[in-house]
Amino acid sequence: MKSYYYITLIIVLSVVAIFSINPEYGKLRNLGHINYYLENGIQDTGAVNLVASIYLNYRTYDTLMETIVLFMSLMGVSIFLGKKGK
Amino acid sequence: MDNSKIIKTIAQKLFPLILLFGFYLTLHGHLSPGGGFQGGVVIATAIILLALSHGIDETENRFKEKHLNNIEKLAILAFIFLGMLGIFNNYPFLKDIFPLGQRGFLASAGMMIPLNLVISIKVAAGITGIFYILVKYRGEI
Repeated sequence: MKSYYYITLIIVLSVVAIFSINPEYGKLRNLGHINYYLENGIQDTGAVNLVASIYLNYRTYDTLMETIVLFMSLMGVSIFLGKKGK
Repeated sequence: MDNSKIIKTIAQKLFPLILLFGFYLTLHGHLSPGGGFQGGVVIATAIILLALSHGIDETENRFKEKHLNNIEKLAILAFIFLGMLGIFNNYPFLKDIFPLGQRGFLASAGMMIPLNLVISIKVAAGITGIFYILVKYRGEI
């Protein structure tokens, strides 16, 4: 009975999440940013690898939060599975 | 664990080479494909290989779980401290304040090498910690 509750909750939340996305957001309107990275990325950051220059110089906040996401996953695993082995 | 002598010897010989490859991927993250996350996963793979060949107890005597968790937390604090260096010098948070250097060489791209090192150490410690917890939950490898 409890699992049905969670399954319906997941379905409702995913439908809400899908229909709340603005469809204009992913359109190819923002090509100016991409061209800016391609033209000025090496001069701005000094890195030859453009992917590294984006995720460690232009978008470093994303990388910081990404490391915190991995920390959260370790915390979740240790909370749910950690005590049982001892 | 009663693995044969061949497997143990080969795993011991491969361990420093895998570590070297992981640090190579990390340090050349701004020049070639790779970076902190990938290098950290490769370093974690070396420790997991030791655990698979020598058993979890002998591996945990060398790489203790408590120390790995502390290293991971310290790595997050080091990342935030590297970001605070910008604030100390009257710039925004996470501003690149190191000199950019000559393009295409190893010592270039400012703050990318320390950030990559911190990320790789953090990812290696985290994935090894998750592996330890899963192995302990199951009771065996």
